Amino acid sequence: MSFVECRALERTYTRGDNTITPLRALDLEIEQGTFLALMGPSGSGKTTLLNLLAGIDRPSSGELRIDGQEITTLSRAALARWRSVAVGYVFQLYHLVPVLTAYENVELPLLLHDLSRKERHRRTALTLELVGLADRHDHYPRQLSGGQEQRVAIARALVTDPQLILADEPTGDLDAEAAKGIMTLLAALHRDLGKTLVMVTHDPKTATFADLTLHLEKGRLVSPATVGADAPAEGGA
Amino acid sequence: MIRFAPLVTKRLVRQPLRTLLTVVGVAVAMFLYCVVEATQAGVTRATAVVAGDSVLVVYRENRYCPFTSRLPQHYQPRIAQIPGVAHVVPMKILVSNCRASLDVVTFRGVPEQDFLETTLPDFEIVAGSAEAWSHRSDAALVGDALASRRGIKVGDRFSAAGITVYVAAIGRTDELQSRNAAYTHLAFLQEAAQRGGTGGVVTQFNVTVSDPERLDAIAQAIDAEFAADSEPTFTQPEKAFVGRAATDVVEIVGFARWLGWGALAAVFALVANAIVLAINERVREYAILETLGFTGATIAGLIVAEGALLGLLGGGAGAVGAFALLSLQTYSVSMEGVHVEVSAGPSLLLSGLVASIVLSVLAGAVPALRVARGDLAGAFRT
Repeated sequence: MSFVECRALERTYTRGDNTITPLRALDLEIEQGTFLALMGPSGSGKTTLLNLLAGIDRPSSGELRIDGQEITTLSRAALARWRSVAVGYVFQLYHLVPVLTAYENVELPLLLHDLSRKERHRRTALTLELVGLADRHDHYPRQLSGGQEQRVAIARALVTDPQLILADEPTGDLDAEAAKGIMTLLAALHRDLGKTLVMVTHDPKTATFADLTLHLEKGRLVSPATVGADAPAEGGA
Repeated sequence: MIRFAPLVTKRLVRQPLRTLLTVVGVAVAMFLYCVVEATQAGVTRATAVVAGDSVLVVYRENRYCPFTSRLPQHYQPRIAQIPGVAHVVPMKILVSNCRASLDVVTFRGVPEQDFLETTLPDFEIVAGSAEAWSHRSDAALVGDALASRRGIKVGDRFSAAGITVYVAAIGRTDELQSRNAAYTHLAFLQEAAQRGGTGGVVTQFNVTVSDPERLDAIAQAIDAEFAADSEPTFTQPEKAFVGRAATDVVEIVGFARWLGWGALAAVFALVANAIVLAINERVREYAILETLGFTGATIAGLIVAEGALLGLLGGGAGAVGAFALLSLQTYSVSMEGVHVEVSAGPSLLLSGLVASIVLSVLAGAVPALRVARGDLAGAFRT
């Protein structure tokens, strides 16, 4: 059984009189520990797929199992609880809470877990150190550069130790140097921590950091649908 | 939920201008509400006849002012012999101002014997003595509210309504009208009022009945006794008398009830406005929280808690402010020689706090539910 299994996954919604289908009958399996890049033009369904994997959006039809859990049948609250332990999400625009410091932003997901204050502090400090921002823990987002904000966002995604990390254009808002730093960090985290990482990107250079790249076009995969450590890779760091 | 409390407080503390403006607005509205409530409570205390009330006021029929109510003092024994009457105190009332005012001095002249037997037991003497009152013809026992409002001390001489009295004692009492009056010897007040003219004329009789349940029947009997006299009487329970004498004040305070409702509406609107504006700014932020694993219920709880905290801070400040103001200083609206006291007790503080918290929770609840049920994926597309 693969870590991620999508069967005939489809997403359709209506906007005015138009019916839009960003994802069509998608079949996909991802093995645990894979670093997968999803590429494709705008509107190809990359972000829709990522949102479905995160349980942020719901498929119109099809099945989606992650680590053996069928998530399409979960309630909204159950999905949130599942995400709090199973998924880390990195956004293109970081989306840190502006009134919280870097430390508090990273600590945020831990508030959902039954942990002592001391244990929360230990994990938060460790994760901030992991992303190289131990000395910026008391800075607010407005006091950080874009690259530093994204590192905080990555730390926030990692702090609960989820098996699946989803990243939506994590370097899309960064300059080349900062982007390289972020991708080096993500690749190292994948390599050292063995996380399954699914990343959406427009940038072929960014995709080279992944074990494998899949292309989506008009809601369909145009690359092999089973990916993992043993599968033939199109790219790599 | 308690572990998320720092999230709510940090948001309020780290957005100080927004928090301050909302809290100040709520505080002002709640202050207004509490003052209106205290005034209404004062009117109720002064005018609502309740079971157990045993005092009637006998006034000149068709007269509404102490200057025009003139009754012969010799009515006293005729009233006293009416069955059910326990005690009759003839009283001369002299006021510094007949119309509605915040600072009116009311003199009540009573015979010494009646004073010692009926009036004095209602007082706890806090300064001076009853003996000093008995020994001087121009002596006055001043109610604590009046003494506090005017800064009057034992040994002072103070003037109002054209007469000057010596302060022989200051007394504390729960009797609202007595708290705001100065008791003098009846003869002294009669002489002073008439400038050496006729004695034997009083403003009213305060009649204590032995059975409170017969209050109305005894009032009718008194009025029937003097119906054919040259000075007919109109008798009613003391609180009803206050309600009639202070009609203008009662009506104004009744109208002020709308002001109180308006103040509550302002509390609701201010908190709702602050929350709705905040939510519109934070649609994506709440979506981020849900992506991190916060459930809709938890997020809604955070929003409601933020509203409740704003309400608690603002409402608390307003209610405490009103409580402090009305506790430190005694305010009494007076008219026709009767007093409606505006005062605050702990219940006012509590009701102000509860009202502001409840309204704030309600103000936050609808937007919170909207966020909790909103389209999560759609929030990222806005």
